[in-house]
Amino acid sequence: MKDRESESLGELLRRFMDAPAATAAEEDIRAGEQILNAWPAPVPCDRALDELKLRMIATARRRRRSLRLLRGSLATAAAVVVVALVGLLGRGPADRPGVAFASIIPTAVWESDDIGADDFDLAYFTSEVQRIEAQMQALEEGETEVGVDNAAVEIEMELMQIVETEFWKG
Amino acid sequence: MGRRVELARIIDGCKSGDADSFAQVVDMYASRCYGYFYRLTGDRDLSDELLSELFVKLVEKIGSYKGGAFESWLFKIASNIFHDHLRGKQRRKKLLDARRAELELEPDLNEPRRSDDSGEKLDRLQTHLSRLDADTRDLIMLRFYSELSFKEIAELRSEPIGTALSKLHRGLKKLRELMEG
Repeated sequence: MKDRESESLGELLRRFMDAPAATAAEEDIRAGEQILNAWPAPVPCDRALDELKLRMIATARRRRRSLRLLRGSLATAAAVVVVALVGLLGRGPADRPGVAFASIIPTAVWESDDIGADDFDLAYFTSEVQRIEAQMQALEEGETEVGVDNAAVEIEMELMQIVETEFWKG
Repeated sequence: MGRRVELARIIDGCKSGDADSFAQVVDMYASRCYGYFYRLTGDRDLSDELLSELFVKLVEKIGSYKGGAFESWLFKIASNIFHDHLRGKQRRKKLLDARRAELELEPDLNEPRRSDDSGEKLDRLQTHLSRLDADTRDLIMLRFYSELSFKEIAELRSEPIGTALSKLHRGLKKLRELMEG
C-alpha cells in the first residue's frame, strides 16, 4: 500500500508505451477505477462477522491444543528413545552372563522337529549298541558264533555302517 | 507510520492467539476482502463462505507471515481461495454437464450465475463484470480491493509488471465501454 502511494501510474505506463498512449491508458484506468468507486460492493453483515471472530478464536484454541499435544507426544517419544538407548548402551560387558551352554543330545536331533524319525533313529542306535556290546562281550569270553571266523571284522564293518548312516544328523 | 506500527502490533497479537487482535484484523480487512469475493462471484452467501475460509486460514498461517506488505500476504491467500473455489466449480460443472448429457437436457446451465439463482438483485457493475474473463476480473478486483501497487500485484500473481498493467488497462477500458454503452 505504501508502494502504491509512491508509485506513479503515468511513469509506469511510459516504461511500456509512448507518451500519448500512456496518457490515454492512464485515463482509461482512472475512469475504470472511478466506476468501481461509484458502485461499492455490499459489506458483510455484523452477525456474520461476529460468527467469524468466534470461529477464528475457536480455530486458534484448537491449534494451540493440537500443538501442545504434539509437543507432549514428542517429549514422551524422546524420553522413550533415551531410556531405550541408556538400556542398550549402558550395559557393560560385566553385566552380560558368562555361562556357556552345551547339549548331550546331537544338535541335529535337538533342532529337528521330526520326533517320530528322531525316536526311531535313537531306538535303532540303542539296539545296535546293545547288540555290539553283546558281541564284544562274547568275543572277550571267547564265545564265537558257529561258522563265523572273523567276528571282530564283522563288528567293525557294522560299526562303519552305522557311522555311514550319519543318523545323528537327523 | 502510526498505522503500520498499529498493524504490526495487531499481527503480533494474532500470532499469540489474542482474541482482540483477531477481532481487529477482521474489522480492518473484512469489508475489502468481502468486496473482492463478492465482485468475483456475485453471490453474497458464497462470499460469506470464502471470507470465513480466508480468516480461518489467516489464523492457521499467521505464523508464516514474516513481514512485508500484510495486504499482499492476505490477498494472496484470498486469491488462492478464490481460484480453488473456481477449480472446484469447474469440476462440478463438468460433472453436471456429463449428467445433463446423460439426461439429454437443453444446455441452459452454461450461463454465469445470475441474480435469480440466489434471489439477489445484482447491480449493473456486477452484470458487466461477469462479461470479463475470470483472470482479468481477478486482477481488477485485486488492484481495487487490496490497494497494492502494480509491482506488488505483479509479484503476487507471478507475472511481469507490464503484463499485469496491460491486462488491467484492457479490462478496465472494456468495463468502462460496457457501463457507458
